[in-house]
Amino acid sequence: MGLLENIQKNIADNPILINSEAAFSKFLELGFPDIKNEEWKYTSLKKVISYEYEIEKNTEEISEKEIKSNSLNFHNAIIFLNGKIYSKPKIKGVTISNFEDQNPSFDNAITALNASIASNGYSISVDSNTVVSEPIEILFLTKNSSNNFIQYRNNINVEENSEVKIVEHIKNLSEKICFTNSVTLVKLKKYAKIEHNKLQDNNDNQISIDHTYVDQDKNSISTINTLIFGGLFTRNNLNFTQNGERGESNMNGIVILDNKEFADNHTFMDHKMPNCESNELYKGIYLGRAKGVFNGKIMVQPDAQKINAFQANNNLLLSDNSSINSKPQLEIYADDVKCSHGCTIGQLDENALFYMNTRGISKEDAKAILTFAFASEALDKITIKELSSLARDLMSKKLNVNLSF
Amino acid sequence: MLKINDLKAGIEDVEILKGINLSVNKGEVHAIMGPNGSGKSTLSAVIAGNETYEVNSGSILFDGEDLLDLDPDQRAHKGVFLSFQYPVEIPGISVSNFIKAAITEKRKVLGLGPISAKELLSSMKEKMELLSMKKGYLSRNMNEGFSGGEKKRNEIFQMAMLEPKLAILDETDSGLDIDALRIVANGVNKLKSKENATIIITHYQRLLDYIVPDFVHVLHNGRIIKSGGKELAHELEEKGYDWVTKEADEKWGY
Repeated sequence: MGLLENIQKNIADNPILINSEAAFSKFLELGFPDIKNEEWKYTSLKKVISYEYEIEKNTEEISEKEIKSNSLNFHNAIIFLNGKIYSKPKIKGVTISNFEDQNPSFDNAITALNASIASNGYSISVDSNTVVSEPIEILFLTKNSSNNFIQYRNNINVEENSEVKIVEHIKNLSEKICFTNSVTLVKLKKYAKIEHNKLQDNNDNQISIDHTYVDQDKNSISTINTLIFGGLFTRNNLNFTQNGERGESNMNGIVILDNKEFADNHTFMDHKMPNCESNELYKGIYLGRAKGVFNGKIMVQPDAQKINAFQANNNLLLSDNSSINSKPQLEIYADDVKCSHGCTIGQLDENALFYMNTRGISKEDAKAILTFAFASEALDKITIKELSSLARDLMSKKLNVNLSF
Repeated sequence: MLKINDLKAGIEDVEILKGINLSVNKGEVHAIMGPNGSGKSTLSAVIAGNETYEVNSGSILFDGEDLLDLDPDQRAHKGVFLSFQYPVEIPGISVSNFIKAAITEKRKVLGLGPISAKELLSSMKEKMELLSMKKGYLSRNMNEGFSGGEKKRNEIFQMAMLEPKLAILDETDSGLDIDALRIVANGVNKLKSKENATIIITHYQRLLDYIVPDFVHVLHNGRIIKSGGKELAHELEEKGYDWVTKEADEKWGY
């Protein structure tokens, strides 16, 4: 059968599951995108939708111990077990509620599917003039006895002059495949600030498609850090829209993949208003037969003068069979802007390796140190200490080294 | 300490070193001089273990063990150090982290216990003073954006930290102004002892005014064609290389 039939059968059995008929018929009309779709040219869904999935069934119990060992154990934690909210914190000036979506918006087949049948997720609303001092960890744990398809739909609303930091972590604890389709809508009011970190460190048991939309009012600052250290198939879509002047959008990513892992980072920066800024830095490290895709589009609309837009995607291919498709896209319709973009693909510098060897550093360690140094620029953007130290641990594990510093 | 026997090496089919013989004992300073393209840098690269060069025959015995059987990092652990003619820039790694990685690995291999961060830092500060390094140097990225003089001083700084038995200084004087030259030479002299040895590879005699060699060798077309005391360096400075190379060319048929 495959995923499409699995979904259709599930809906036929339980028609009540549909939130929006319009969204569902749009999904059926469009179907899952194939590689003829320009946005999916290097990213084929064919295989991952050919597997058989249960739709949020056959769940297994997740123990306290498993929660603890997969968590940063922050005081502020929203924990989902198999899609359902298990615990949520009480934070002054912050309202956290379960999935709620009055307006199931969508802009493509996959977000239409999410809008039509998602029934899990969180909604965070930060009152105006509130700085949430401790970061909020959002943990989505699943454990299933069969392959599972699950959807999350989240809202984050940060009111004027407020600030929040988030770590979002999706983790599959079973050996069966979990296919996650998430949509997160972020709204920043004027002078609001968010740092949203996404940690994606699964094994070959996880398929993720994520869409995150960030809508910014004037003088707001958004930062999204994406850390991908594994996963059978990952497709992230980040969409930033600046609706007011003097906004700033930052996106940073580190991708380290091995074996047959695959990750695609699609970003879209929409500069609609003047005097804004965007910074984008993605670092990719590919081992084994891993494959990466990067597509970074920057749009500067006609009225968006005095824009500063920077984009870089640097990649290291550390094996003969790894690959990366990198595509920067600039569309500029204003004449007084500063835009730069660069994409590099390379191997480790042999001269640097030899230099380090002569100082007594072994080949393996020299490679690891150089690889770390390569990625560290993007890692430096994370301001949550616990997360950057976890990321360092995960990186050294992934690169199979013990770092002495 | 070091005994090079009939060393032949090159790149692909081109033989650059055509049979080098050289003995260096502890406590000695040797200068290897020669015109451009004579094989000076190849010799230092081969001793350090650069795999770009293929060794066709001969041996490099260091305390009785053939270095050719060892990887570059193992040679470093034995006490061989090469100061690069062109030190490599390594963005993203600070000088202090780099030194820490090198020292930690060396101590591990030699079975010494780990060194405390405090101890390491005070040792680094002491060596920085020796070489008149500016504050903030330790947190700069390795050689990134360093001036020529800073890069060379950084090489000697690493040498000071790693305390090698045999230091090879490859064209350490190139790109140095007279003040930097004096600082570097002073640093090298302070690090000299009865237990270690130094090989200075240079085109000019200038550096040898500051670091006085016990022996001077002239390298030409991949062979050591003349050896002598420190006065040989002055002779070369006065007369140029022609008078020695001509004789050799007749002998070897160029």
